[in-house]
Order: sequence, then structure tokens, then C-alpha cells
Amino acid sequence: MNGRLWAGLVLLGGLGLLALAAPWAEHLLGHDPYQPDLFARYEAASATHPLGTDELGRDVLLRLLRGARVSLAVGLATALAAAAIGTAVGLLAAWRGGVVDAGLMRLADGLLALPALPLLVVLAAADLSAIGLSPDLAGGDVIRIVAVLAIFGWMGVARLARAAALSTLALPYVRAARALGASEARVLARHVLPALASPVAVATALTVAGAILAESTLSFLGLGIRPPLPSWGNMLANAQEMVLEAPWQAVWPGACIVAAVAGAGLVADGLRGR
Amino acid sequence: MAELAGWVKPAARTSPLARGRVLGVALVATLVAALPAAAQTRPQLTIGITQYPATLHPNIEQMAAKSYVLGFARRPLTTYDADWRLACLLCETLPSLENGLAVRETTPDGKDGLRLTIRLRADARWGDGTPISSEDLRFAWDAGRAFETGFGNAEFYRSAYELIIVDDRTIMLRFDRVTFDFASMGDFQPLPARIERPRWEADRAAYRTRTAYDTESTNPGLWSGPYRVTATTPGSSVALARNDAWGGPRPAFDRILVRTIESTPSLEAQAMTGQVDMIAGELGLPLDQGIALARRAGARFRLHVQPGLIYEHIDLNLDNPVLADVRVRRALLLASDRATIAQRLYEDRQPVASGPTHPLDPGFDNTRSPAPFDPAEAARLLDDAGFSARGPDGIRRNAAGERLSFEFMTTAGNRGREQVQQVLQGQWRAAGIEVRIRNEPPRVFFGETMSRRRFTGLAQYAWISAPENVPRSTFHSDEIPRAARNWSGQNYPGFRDAEMDALLERLPITLDPAERRPLWSRLQAILAEQVPVLPLWHRADAHLWPAWLDGVRPTGHLAPSTLWVEQWRVR
Amino acid sequence: MAGALIRRAGQILAALAVLSFAAYVAIGLMPGDPIDLAIVGDPRMTALDAERLRALHGLDRPIVARWWDWFLRALSGDFGHSRLYARPVATVLIPALGGTLVLVGMALLIAVGGGVALGLLAALRPRTAPGVEALSVLAQAVPAFWLGILLIIGFALGLGWLPAGGVPDQGDAAWRFLVLPVATLAIANLAAYARHTTAAMAGVLGQPFIVTARARGAGGARIALTHALPNAAVPILQVAALDIGALMGGALVTETVFARPGMGRLLYEAVMGNDHPLALAAVLLVALATMLATAAADAAQRVIDPRIGG
Repeated sequence: MNGRLWAGLVLLGGLGLLALAAPWAEHLLGHDPYQPDLFARYEAASATHPLGTDELGRDVLLRLLRGARVSLAVGLATALAAAAIGTAVGLLAAWRGGVVDAGLMRLADGLLALPALPLLVVLAAADLSAIGLSPDLAGGDVIRIVAVLAIFGWMGVARLARAAALSTLALPYVRAARALGASEARVLARHVLPALASPVAVATALTVAGAILAESTLSFLGLGIRPPLPSWGNMLANAQEMVLEAPWQAVWPGACIVAAVAGAGLVADGLRGR
Repeated sequence: MAELAGWVKPAARTSPLARGRVLGVALVATLVAALPAAAQTRPQLTIGITQYPATLHPNIEQMAAKSYVLGFARRPLTTYDADWRLACLLCETLPSLENGLAVRETTPDGKDGLRLTIRLRADARWGDGTPISSEDLRFAWDAGRAFETGFGNAEFYRSAYELIIVDDRTIMLRFDRVTFDFASMGDFQPLPARIERPRWEADRAAYRTRTAYDTESTNPGLWSGPYRVTATTPGSSVALARNDAWGGPRPAFDRILVRTIESTPSLEAQAMTGQVDMIAGELGLPLDQGIALARRAGARFRLHVQPGLIYEHIDLNLDNPVLADVRVRRALLLASDRATIAQRLYEDRQPVASGPTHPLDPGFDNTRSPAPFDPAEAARLLDDAGFSARGPDGIRRNAAGERLSFEFMTTAGNRGREQVQQVLQGQWRAAGIEVRIRNEPPRVFFGETMSRRRFTGLAQYAWISAPENVPRSTFHSDEIPRAARNWSGQNYPGFRDAEMDALLERLPITLDPAERRPLWSRLQAILAEQVPVLPLWHRADAHLWPAWLDGVRPTGHLAPSTLWVEQWRVR
Repeated sequence: MAGALIRRAGQILAALAVLSFAAYVAIGLMPGDPIDLAIVGDPRMTALDAERLRALHGLDRPIVARWWDWFLRALSGDFGHSRLYARPVATVLIPALGGTLVLVGMALLIAVGGGVALGLLAALRPRTAPGVEALSVLAQAVPAFWLGILLIIGFALGLGWLPAGGVPDQGDAAWRFLVLPVATLAIANLAAYARHTTAAMAGVLGQPFIVTARARGAGGARIALTHALPNAAVPILQVAALDIGALMGGALVTETVFARPGMGRLLYEAVMGNDHPLALAAVLLVALATMLATAAADAAQRVIDPRIGG
């Protein structure tokens, strides 16, 4: 079982290293992934451009590395945000029980039942400056996507967290600790939260995969990360429009997305199987 | 008119995969050539377009897909033709002061007025055989004048204050002003009163939801062109069949199927598999994709690139204190190498523009040429404007330490525009000017950011216009959108120039074309001096016709090539 | 049972009412109303025209009042008029829903059928398990729009076996137009069923009654089909019910790539094109379909496994 975990971690770790290597690779190759060169469009792979150039003559490899930063950041940030919301909701529901539990779980069920993609479209097209998110903020686009994806990503975590918290709260030693007068905060922090780690980790890994895929889909619909910031999703969506003319342009970002999503999926499987 | 969905896309080289396809297609073409010559007619022509017409009512909502489909099935009174001259389609003679069908007069309240006599062609009839009559014109006029009907072009119906029926197919229309383009008559065209008037009278405000054009589109009585609509599949296709009541030459196809395929790679794929015979230039592939497809499948398709009246440009917000300085605006223009973009991305099929007036337009001053790429002069202008020092990031700063930096917006998801934007960003960075790209989906960009002037720096989009269209709404100081005017008007840069205002007021009422010419020249000169807008190019359409089709004449302006479908011939 | 059904129906209706309000407000708060866009489209529109148009369309009233009007009319079956398609919303939605249901239904059948088959294969022939797993990890990781384009390039352009998309015209064989879109939609979802089947089978195969059956001499395939599979059906059913919503949403991408009219694309266009009545009705319809599917799955589960109480 742990083979999967390792395979997933190696995949994700490798992509992460690539993302970190972006500035170094830029230095080594000596060009700027943002600077178009109209005289070098759609160049084939060469020593100067190991993976060739894109429709504006920019180095595909360097853009993939920069895109790795954006795509992985979107995946991780979304997963962390979803995990935080989901854990909090699940814990609260399990701990308070009664009406709070029923209400929160109804909300989660309701959101799960909704067709997520069309609603993502609604949210992604909305103007988030209305709720105080400045569009000028550095990485504002990443925050916009993460916020939109996290809104639809926390329910799975919440359900798992609630189930785990409920069973932990029912364990004899936890009940004993409570009976002995340990404060509720201490019980939750010392006994319940650690028990949530494993299910939440599984759900988080799955959310990473989902978020990277969702970003590419939003890019395909013209609502994802916007240029000039590269993401695998917008590179793939862009290449897809000229796919009959320059098919290999779509290969690399597509492969990166598949690798990252598969990696996150394997990590989730591995964690689950442990 | 600003447009809601644009496309400017670059060309690309032939891929290995594509080369394989070209060979395959060439082989097929050779085999086909060996067969006996095709007959004069074909059972069916399938056309791919990228938009579905929202409504089929000629007067409700303006959109390219609707006008393309209606071109087959209904005829307007007049239109601009492929030579950009006004021509009669349903009328007998184009009214003019010389032929006496247009007469200057004074309106009851003492203004300069005009009386037009419009006579419908004797052979004009609806698809059910009923002749098109003065009553049909009267109904269109009645409905257009009632605001609640919701027709566009309210200005025309306000100005056409009286309609007099002379006989069955002759009317007189009186206007309370005299403009040189009086014979174009806006969108005014006969509507089948027999079918439509009762629906309109029953509930005027709900007419737009009850019109037979949308509730029973296949009623032959609605259609006056060589074809009539026989089936609609919302979002997907409109089928047309020959209209037997049509009095003109018999068109070449029994059936025409107009298919909507929004995703351009899918449209290309369907063209290559033969599911689509032709791709309409009016609403088809971006220029670069069109050029590329023609290169891959040259044996099957003929590419025609039609220069058009869609002016791609960048608005500068003149209320921005830095952009208020004309030297900075000129520097932006001179520091951008637009000629290289046009050459590399569009293979020079879409040349750089000198201003909003198209070179084919009668008002074009042919002594003008596009501003050159002159980085040295741009640098001098920026030095003069106070941005002489370069920071460690290479961006210019003024004495107060402010960086020379602007926000640059366009419609998100439009690949072609986003490409040009990124190339310009690189070119300006080299000149020490930073532009920060921030794009929005079209409905936000047009519906809010532009119309409320919420952009702070540069904004790239396109204006669509008609031949010799006076750009009053875009350059007159009265047309700057503001809350008090309900945000109407399209002078988004906020351009104010007394001489420009005077020109824009004089141009429409100067009836002699020769007298208009110096006015047009002056207008272009002011725009070149003041640079409220950075010109890019006039967009060219990529028409892809099957190799066996002849006689399609695209216009490059709003009138679609389908208005002359009876001249399309099978080779 | 009847009580549970009524309670469930009540829950669904209440959820729809709440959702309709949330969606109305969310769509209504998006910048750029139809009149703004009309002003952009008609340069000669005056300030007065804009104001009158807003009043004519009722856009000058508060959004809550507009929603309430809509809600009351919706209760009487009138969902309004689509601006984009110039016809009553219901007449636009019903054909689109039909198209999507065919697509989603076939994709779901193939995904469940193929997934269960693969899962059984992996459970019964452990040597194939790594291959099946690799396949399912990959299938889940491919962006659907990319897969769609790859299928078009391969099967429509390359081999020329199937149309590149679109809808059948008179005389075309309808099924040929369904193959590629259904495959695109099914492949991504197939993986989940394969995994659930494998997992459920692994769980069931170790249980005493299977061991007993095996001891009595029953063959592997027989055990799998008669004993283990029915037990694995419950989780698979649950996943399928939850998938319906995702599939109907995911149909948006498939429908766009293959130029098929349907709910997904309709919803997308309604939102982007400011067609409030259509967008709202479409969101509610998709949500309703999802909730009905979930309810049906719950009911089916009770039939299969009576231990679960209502």
C-alpha cells in the first residue's frame, strides 16, 4: 500500500522541485518566460529551448516551470483552505451535535448535491472586488480561483472529519478525560484533532487533485488564471485552440496536469490504505 | 458600436500531423477531380458559424449570427453592398435629392426636414405569396415608434415622425433632420403585418416574446428572401429551404444548414471531416486559425481574407494624470512595434491602422499612414514628460519617484487579444513602460468596466461600424459616460476637444460628399495629434469556402455576404 | 415508507426554494445587466432610453422583489422568457435536458459497467490489479476537454470513423454522434467505479460466508457474481447517485468540445450571456435531477439492504 504513497509523493515532490527550480532554469537558459519573441514562434525543441517555444515565442519549459508554481499553489492552497474549513465544520458539528450538527450537515449535503461546475462558472465570472478582494493584489487571480474552488471543496473533508470526531468522542478514554474535568478545548485539541489527521489528509490530497483539474477546466472556459501568469491549465487551454496546428503544444501541460493529479490521487490512496 | 466578442489570432506553422492531413486531402481531391464535373446545383450547403442567433426578429437585438441567417431569408429595404455603396434590395430606386425621391422641407415645428418616397419592388413578396405592401412598412414603423416594443435604433423612429401611404407599394417618410446617410434608413424594413400586427396589438410590451419570428419561425409568410427558415434547433442549427415565392434568380442549393459550433478547434475539426462545407468569415475562425486551416486543407477550401470595418484599438483613459499628457500617449504609440505584430501573427493580412477610418472608406484621408515604430522618439518624449530616470527594474520614474505604470485590460478568454496584449507588454517594458495586465470576462468588461469608465489605464477592444459612419458616440465630449446620463455614450477615453465636437456635429448634416472630405481629413488629423486611442488594425475576416463554390462576395461591414446568396454558384 | 417519501419531497422543495434565491442573487449581482450591454451595443441610445428600458424590464426594482415575482410565477409553472433564445424557458430547457440525459445516462451506464468489470477483474485476478489501478489513476487525471480533443483528433480526423461532433442532421445515424462524447464523459468516471468495486470485493471476499461458500466448492466467478457483487452494489450505487450532479456539470465541457446542445452549455451561456430566467431555471433543474437521483439511490439501497432504516 505504501508503494502508492511513495509513488505519489515522488511525483508531487518532483513537480514541486521543478517549480522551485524555475528561477535557476531561467538563469541557466538565459531567457525570460514572460518576454514574447515574435521571431521565434512555435520553434521545435533545441538546446536553447529544450521543449520548444509557444505561440508567442516564449520558452515552453520555463513557462511550464512557472506554471508549476501557479498550478501547485492553486492545488495546495485550495486543499488547505478546504481542509481548514472542513475540519472546523466537521469538528463543530460532532462536538455540538443537535441542531448545529443537523444544520451544518444539511448544508454540506446540499452543496454536495449541487452541480459544482456551473456554479463555479457563476462564481468565477463574478466580480470579487465587490467583497473586498482587490483585483490589483499580487496573485489576486490565484486567490480568486482558490476562493471559488474552496467554497465547493470543503464538504467532503467536513463529512470525514465529523465521522472521525464522533467516533473519537465516543471512545472510553476521551469520555473519561471529559468526566475528569479536562476542558473542552483541551479534549478537542489533545484527543480529537489528532484522530482527524488521517481522514483529513486523505480528503486534502483528493482536493489537490480536484483543484488542479478544476483550474484547467475553468481556463478552458476562459475563467481560469489569466495571462500573462502561466498555469498548466491556461497553457493547455491555450494550446487546445491551436491543437490541430501545433499539437505538441498541448502535450506538455497536459502531461504535467495528469502527473500532478495522478500523484495527488496516489497519495490519497496510499494514506487511505495505511 | 463596441463589440462583445472579438477575435484576433496569430498564424502558426504547419505541424507534422497537419502535413500528413494535407497529403491525405490532396489525394482525395485528385480522386474527386477525376469524376465528372458536378451539376449546377447541390442538394445542400452546410455552413459553420460560431454563434447562435438569439432571435430571428429583424428588429430585436443586433447580433452577427442573426444578421447572417436573416441574410438568406429576409431582405431589408437598403443595404451597403460589397463596394460599400448604398443599394436598394426591396425598394425600386434609392431615394436621392437628385432623383427627386428625397425632398428637403420644413417640419411643422420649423426644423429642417426631409421627405423620402420609398417604392417597393413589384416582385417583392412574402414566402406565402402575399405581396409585400405599404401596410407592412406601416406596421414596422408603428411598432418601432412605440418604445415598449423594444426595437433597437430608437433614434431613427424618433426622427421619422410621419409615414404616409401613397399606394399599395409606395410610402412617404418624413424626417425632422437632414443627414447625408438618410437613404440607409437604419433597420427600418417591412414586417408581415398580417401575421405580426395582431400579436403586437394584443400586448405591445410582450411583443418581443410573442413574435411569430420566434414562436413559429417556420411560417413562410415571415420570409422575403431566396430562402425560408424550415427548422431551428436552439443553440445548434438553423435549416433553410428555397423560398418558392422568391421573385429573383433561383439560388443554387435546395437546402442550407447553418450550424453553430462555438469552440473553434471543433469547428476546424468538423470542416476537416466534411461535416461543414464552409466556414463563414463573418462569424468564423480567427484569422490565424483560418490561414492555418487553409494551408492544411488547401485542396478542399479556398481562403478569402476580407478587410473589415472592425477597428481593434486601445482606449487610453485621459483622466489618468499621466495619460493626460499627450507626450506619454504618443510615446506609447511610437514604442509599440505594431507592424511586426501584424507581420508575424497575421502574415500581413491585417495591416496596421492609422486611425478609426478604414482605408476603403470614402472618408479616408490617403495621405495618412500609421505611426512608425520609433523607440528613440518615444524615449525623447518620455524624457520630456519627466519620466527620464530608469529604476533598477528598468521602468521609468519621474522626479517624484512615481513609476511609469498602467493597468492594461481586455476581454478575458479572447486568446488573440491576450496574445497581442502580452507582446505589447514586452515591447513597452523595453521602453521603460510597465503595463499590468488585468482582464475581465466580456460581460464584466463591457457591461461595467468600460461603460462606467472604471478602467484606469489602457483597454483593448474593437468598434464595429458601417461605411462612412460618423464616430460621434466615441469622440464627442457629450458622449462621455457618466451617471447623470445613465452611462450612455461610448467616449470611454473621456476625449474632449471643441474642434472635434464641431466636426462631429457638422459631418452628418453636410450632404455633399466633396464637402465632407476635408472634414474627415481634419478628424483623422486631430486623432493622430491627440492620440486618445492607440490604433491597432482593422480586423480582417477569414472566409473559408469549399473549392467548388463561387460568387460569394463578403462586404467587410455589417451587411453579411448572405444577402446576395442567389449569386452563389456551384462550379 | 410513504412518510419518508413525503419528508424527502418536502426537503427537496425547500432546498430548491433556498437555492433559487441564492442563485438569483448571485446571478443578479454579477456586473453588467442586460441594459448595460444594450447601451454598449447601440451607440445612439440615449440616457432616457436606458432608463425606460430598465423600467420596462423591471430592472429598476430591488433584486429581492424581482426574485419574489419570479418565484410566484415559477410556482404557477411560468419560468419566464429566455433572452438568449427568445422563447419560453421551459421550451429551451426540455430539449436540452433530453440531450444531456441521453449523454449522461449512457456515460453513467458505461462508466458503471466498465468500472465494475475492471474492478471485478482486479479483485479476481490479482495479477491484473496493478494494471487496472494504473489505468484508473490515469483516467481520473486527464482533463476532460483535452481527452475530448484527443479523441476527435484520433477517431474523427485520423481514422475518420466517427463525426468530429455536432448533432445528426436528417439521415445521419444518431449513435455515431454519441460515441465520442459519451466516451469522453465516461472515461473520467469509470475509474471511481473500478476502485470501489475492487475495494468492496476485497472486503467481501474475506468474510466468513464467502469462505464457507468456497469451502463448499463454489468457483471464483460464481462467488463473485452471486455473493460478493450484491454486497458491493451499495457503495457503487451511492457513488453513482453523487456522480449524476458532477456528470451533468461535466457535460458542459463535453458539450462544448463536441458542439452538442445540452444543459451544461445552456447553463454556461445563460450565465455568461446574462439570461437570468434561463440560468436560474437551469441551475434548479440540474439540482433537482441530482437530488432526485440521490433519493432514488437511497430508496434502491433500502431495497437491496433492508438493514438500513428510513
